[in-house]
Amino acid sequence: MKTLPFLRYGIAAIALMAAHATQAETRIGAIFDVTGPLNIYGIEQQRALELAVDNINENGGLLGEPVKVVSYDAQSELSKYTQFTHTAILRDKVDALFAGLTSSSREAIRPIIRKADIPYFYASLYEGGACDKQTFVTGTSASQQLSVLIEWAVKEYGKRIYIMAPDYNFGTISAHWVHEYARSLGAQVVGQDFLALTVTDFTPTIQKIQASKPDFVVALPVGSNQTGFLEQFSAAGLKDSIGIVSSNYGSGNQQVVVSPRAGDGIISNQGYYMAVDNPTNRDFIELWKQRHPIKAPLTSGAVAVWNAVNLWAKAVEKAGSADSDAVIEALESGLTFEAPNGTVKLEPGSHHLRQNIYIARGNDKHDFTILETFPSVAPFYENEKCDLIADPDLVEHFSPEAD
Amino acid sequence: MDIDYLATVILSSLSSASILLIATIGLAVVFGLMGVINLAHGEFLMIGAYSALTATQMGVPFVLAIPIAVAVTMAIGALVEVLIIKRLYGRIFDTMLATWGISIVFYQLAVMIFGTVTPGIGMPQSNIQIGDYSLAGYPLLMIGVAALMGLFVYFLMTRTVYGMKARASIQQPEMAQAIGIESTRVNTLTFSIGCGLAGFAGAVLLPIVPATPSMGFSFVIKAFLTVVVAGPVTLTGSVLTAIGLGGGASITASFLTSVAGDIFFFLITAALLWLYPLGISAKWRRKL
Repeated sequence: MKTLPFLRYGIAAIALMAAHATQAETRIGAIFDVTGPLNIYGIEQQRALELAVDNINENGGLLGEPVKVVSYDAQSELSKYTQFTHTAILRDKVDALFAGLTSSSREAIRPIIRKADIPYFYASLYEGGACDKQTFVTGTSASQQLSVLIEWAVKEYGKRIYIMAPDYNFGTISAHWVHEYARSLGAQVVGQDFLALTVTDFTPTIQKIQASKPDFVVALPVGSNQTGFLEQFSAAGLKDSIGIVSSNYGSGNQQVVVSPRAGDGIISNQGYYMAVDNPTNRDFIELWKQRHPIKAPLTSGAVAVWNAVNLWAKAVEKAGSADSDAVIEALESGLTFEAPNGTVKLEPGSHHLRQNIYIARGNDKHDFTILETFPSVAPFYENEKCDLIADPDLVEHFSPEAD
Repeated sequence: MDIDYLATVILSSLSSASILLIATIGLAVVFGLMGVINLAHGEFLMIGAYSALTATQMGVPFVLAIPIAVAVTMAIGALVEVLIIKRLYGRIFDTMLATWGISIVFYQLAVMIFGTVTPGIGMPQSNIQIGDYSLAGYPLLMIGVAALMGLFVYFLMTRTVYGMKARASIQQPEMAQAIGIESTRVNTLTFSIGCGLAGFAGAVLLPIVPATPSMGFSFVIKAFLTVVVAGPVTLTGSVLTAIGLGGGASITASFLTSVAGDIFFFLITAALLWLYPLGISAKWRRKL
C-alpha cells in the first residue's frame, strides 16, 4: 500500500514532536513591535532580548541547557498581542513571556498570562500601578521618576509649574503625580494642557505657558511628532526664562531628532542613559556593539528588557527549574542584579524594580550629560498599593486618580 | 483678557490655519480635483521632509532643498500614478486599498533607509515680541507661504493651458480625448503635481515638524476632512475650511485646552457635513 510510508512518517513525526515537547529545554516568548510605527522602540527591545539570551547561552545556558527564544512581531497592532500571546502559550508552550510597549498592549496580555500562569515581564517606562502574581515590571513607573524629578526641578527653577501632557492615561496619571508632589513641596501648578497624540502645532500651548508665567514646564510629549514642541518653544525664545523637565524625553531618542539648539538644556530623568558610567554598562555597550552598530544611543527601554531577561534567568537558576510557581517564588525572593543602570532589586511585594533614577541635561551634541544620580529609588506608589506576598490573589491596575 | 494675548492668539491661529492649508493643498488637487483618495498623502509629505533633510545634510541651503524635495516627490508621484493609480481611476475602494498599501511600504522604507530617528534641522531662532508674549517667527512666515501656494495652484489650474487640460481630462475624459488632449498623460502630471505639493509641504514645514517615518499620520486626517468639507470647489473651499476649522481649533485651544481645540475641529466638521453633505461649496459657481 502506497500510503503506508506516509503513515509511518506521520507516526514518527508525532513521536518526535512528543519527545520534543517533553525535552527540558527552556523557551521564552518575545512579542515586540518589530515593524510599524512603534518599531522606534520595538526593534531595540527585540535586540536587547536576543543579546541577553545569547549572552546567557554563551555562558553555559540555563541549568545546563540553552535558552530558546520564540519571537513574534506584533506589527504595532494591539490585536496581534492578544493573538501571539495565545500562540506563545498554547502552541509554543513558552516558560516565560517578554512583551509589550504600550500600556494597552500590557493590559491585553495580562489576562491571558494570568490564566496560563507563567511569568510575564513588561519592560517599559509607564504610568505605574499594574499588579498581579504573574506580571513583573522592569521599567520605571511614573511615581518613581516624578518624585525625584519634581523635587529637583522645584529646587533648581522655582515653585511655579506648568504641565503639558498627552491626553491618555500615561499623561493624566503623570500629571496627577506632579500635582501631588508639588503640593507636598509647597509648589504650585499654575496651568496644564492635555494634548492629543497627533498634535504638531503647539502655538496655543506655548501662549498659555507664557500667560501663566511658570518657572518650569513638565513636558511629557510622547512620540517624535511632539519633539516639534521643543523646537517651537525654543524658537519663541522662551528657553532662557523657563525650564523644561520631562520624565520621558529621550526614551525614544527624541534628543537625536531635536536640533542641538532646542535640545540643549532640556532636563530628562530616566532609569538609564547610555552615558551612565560604570563597568557593567561599559561591558553592556561593548557587547551590543559586537552585534549591532550603535547609530542612536541605547535607551532605558532596551536596558529594561536586558534586566528582565537576566532577572528571570537568575530566578530560574535559583529555583532549579523553569516551572512557573518555583520561578515566581524565586522572583519574589528579593533578587538583585548588577545592571547597566546600577544595581537593581526586584521588590518582592510589588513586582516592580527598585533602581537608580538619573537626572540628565540635554547637551548640544544630541546627547545627555548626567547631572545627578538618585540611587535605588523605590517604586513608591506600587510598593504602597501592591503587596503580592500578603495578598497573592490581587489582580489590579491601581490608579491614583481612582483613589 | 488683555489685548496682547488676543493679538498673539489671532496671529498664531492664522499660522495654525496656514500650516493646515499647506499640508492640505496637495490633497485638494489629488482628491478634490481628481477624485483619487490618496491615503499615502501623508507619506508623500514625509518623503518631501526627508528629501529636504537629506539635501541640507549634504550641504545644500534649506531654501534650495525645498525645490529638490518637490522634484523628488513629483518623480515618485508620477511613478506611482503610472504603475498603480492609472489602472484604478473610478474604482474608489481599490484606490484606497492600493494607496493605503503604498503608505505602509513608504513608511517601512523610510524606517529602513533613515532609521527611526534622524537629527532635525531645527527652527530659525527668530521671534517677534507682542507685549509680554513672544511668538516664533517661522510659523508666522507660513501665513505668507500658504497664501503664495494657494495663489500658485489657483493660477496654474485656471489660467494656464495645462490647467484647462487637467480639468478637462478629469471632468470629461472622453471629450478631452476627442479634442486631442492626451488625458492619461495629463492625469499623470496632475497627480504628480499633487504629490509635489505634498513634498513641498513636508519640506517647508520641516523646521516645525521634524522628519520622522510616521509624521504623515498626524496631518492626513485633518487634511482629508478639510478637503471633504470643502467640497467640489476644491481650492477656494479648502482655503476657507482651513481658516475656519484650523484657525477656530487653534483659538479654542488657546482659550480652553488643546483637547477642546480638537473637539471643536471634529464637531464643526461633523456639523458642516451634516448641513452640506457634498461640502460647503456644493452650490458655489466658481471653477476652483
